Amino acid sequence: MPLVGNIRDFGLSDFLYLVDRGYKTGCLHLSRADEMASLYFDKGKLITATRKDDNVPVTELLVRKGKLTPVQAAQATQVHQSQNGVTLSQVLLNLELIGRDELQRVLQQHIEEAVYALFSWNEGEFRFEQGQRPDPTAPIMPTPLAVEHLIMEGVRRIDEWGRIRDRIPSTDMVVKFIEQPVERTKGINLAADEWRVFARINGKDTLAEIARKTGMSEFEVCRIVYGFLTAGLVDVIRKPAPVPMLATGRPLAEAPRVKKSLVTRIINRIRGM
Amino acid sequence: MQTVKMVISGAVNAGKTEFIKTISEIEVVSTERPATDDTRLIKKETTVAMDFGRIAIGDDLVLHLFGTPGQKRFDFMWEILSEGMLGLVILVDSTRPETFRETNRIIDFFMSYRETPYVVAANKQDRPNAWSPEELRLALRLPSHIKVLPCMATDRESVKNVLLELLDVIMQRSED
Ligand SMILES: Nc1nc2c(ncn2[C@@H]2O[C@H](COP(=O)(O)OP(=O)(O)OP(=O)(O)O)[C@@H](O)[C@H]2O)c(=O)[nH]1
Ligand SMILES: [Mg+2]
Repeated sequence: MPLVGNIRDFGLSDFLYLVDRGYKTGCLHLSRADEMASLYFDKGKLITATRKDDNVPVTELLVRKGKLTPVQAAQATQVHQSQNGVTLSQVLLNLELIGRDELQRVLQQHIEEAVYALFSWNEGEFRFEQGQRPDPTAPIMPTPLAVEHLIMEGVRRIDEWGRIRDRIPSTDMVVKFIEQPVERTKGINLAADEWRVFARINGKDTLAEIARKTGMSEFEVCRIVYGFLTAGLVDVIRKPAPVPMLATGRPLAEAPRVKKSLVTRIINRIRGM
Repeated sequence: MQTVKMVISGAVNAGKTEFIKTISEIEVVSTERPATDDTRLIKKETTVAMDFGRIAIGDDLVLHLFGTPGQKRFDFMWEILSEGMLGLVILVDSTRPETFRETNRIIDFFMSYRETPYVVAANKQDRPNAWSPEELRLALRLPSHIKVLPCMATDRESVKNVLLELLDVIMQRSED
């Protein structure tokens, strides 16, 4: 069954995180008004992206960009039609009509542009079809793209507080690394300002303190941390309150430490229901 | 007579009233009213104040189940309900990703007071467009030690299973 929703409520970067951590294969279809885009993933990594108004075979794209002659394109297409289970991209490489690095660079740039434009959508229906594969003639990259990289770039384009506040309600929150951030940072290229914030994360300082220490604005720090957060590198937590208080002014009682025997009785009772 | 308390929380329409009704031994004391706010777009009746259910454990011990009201303007009820609770079930309508952020806020709310034992129940798993528990874990970014359980609040065995899993978490924190 497809996962459906609206990116107004569950953002594109949230979805990319789910695809990455869920190691998902399939297609994310996004639509709003008369626009439509499809992102294809293989085991959590992006392999291609198409837009309804620009859904062309990889050969045509390369001809348009001057990387292939129409004759070469026709040759590759012909060979591809006689082969089963290979992508047109792979045929181009097999025929040595283009080098692997060159093909990667051209397609990656094209696909990244398509994806980044989607981050500006404030709303739009999404539908994730598990297991769905792209057309074999689609501009499939030789090396799939790690989505953290896309998330960071997408977040760089966010310029309003609204979305950030959802995840970082206050600058009094503390930033800390999750288990193995070093492992996760491999797919990401950080800009200088991002490194400045990254280097200040210590599990003790609040966002406000990081802003003060780096001399950056609180918005800028929150936006950057939001990117780290969305990419799954860090967590933001509340500063532990000294004594929890109720709004009524009374201190909250400690969680009752219950006896094992009491819990066992409840368990037995519910089992028997 | 000793009473212990568990709280069933979650965004509006998650299935809290249904969950308590399915397991309670008494007619659930619920305060359903015609919905106001945005809630009326989703459903006619919503819980104001709270739901209350009860399971007698023995002559000297009773378990109370409290459901929090879904609509935002009743948030003040939550902290009253949460005082002294044994554990917490967070119900999620697995078919409505538009409620996931609200669900996170609810979890944050309870955890900001203290670390309460809790489990997340991915409710309405019988519906065709339900997100699976594992997808919900990622969508809500729950740490791996928090249990995310499949749930159908309309099904007694399923509700029992959620409560038993919560009791298992509570057990690990209990003392001899
Ligand atoms: N299919 C299906 N429907 C369910 C399930 N659980 C609850 N529902 C339905 O979902 C709707 C909402 O359930 P309620 O129990 O009223 O939800 P609630 O959390 O108490 O809602 P509020 O009090 O308004 O916050 C009702 O129509 C229920 O019958 C389930 O497991 N499967
Ligand atoms: Mg209710």
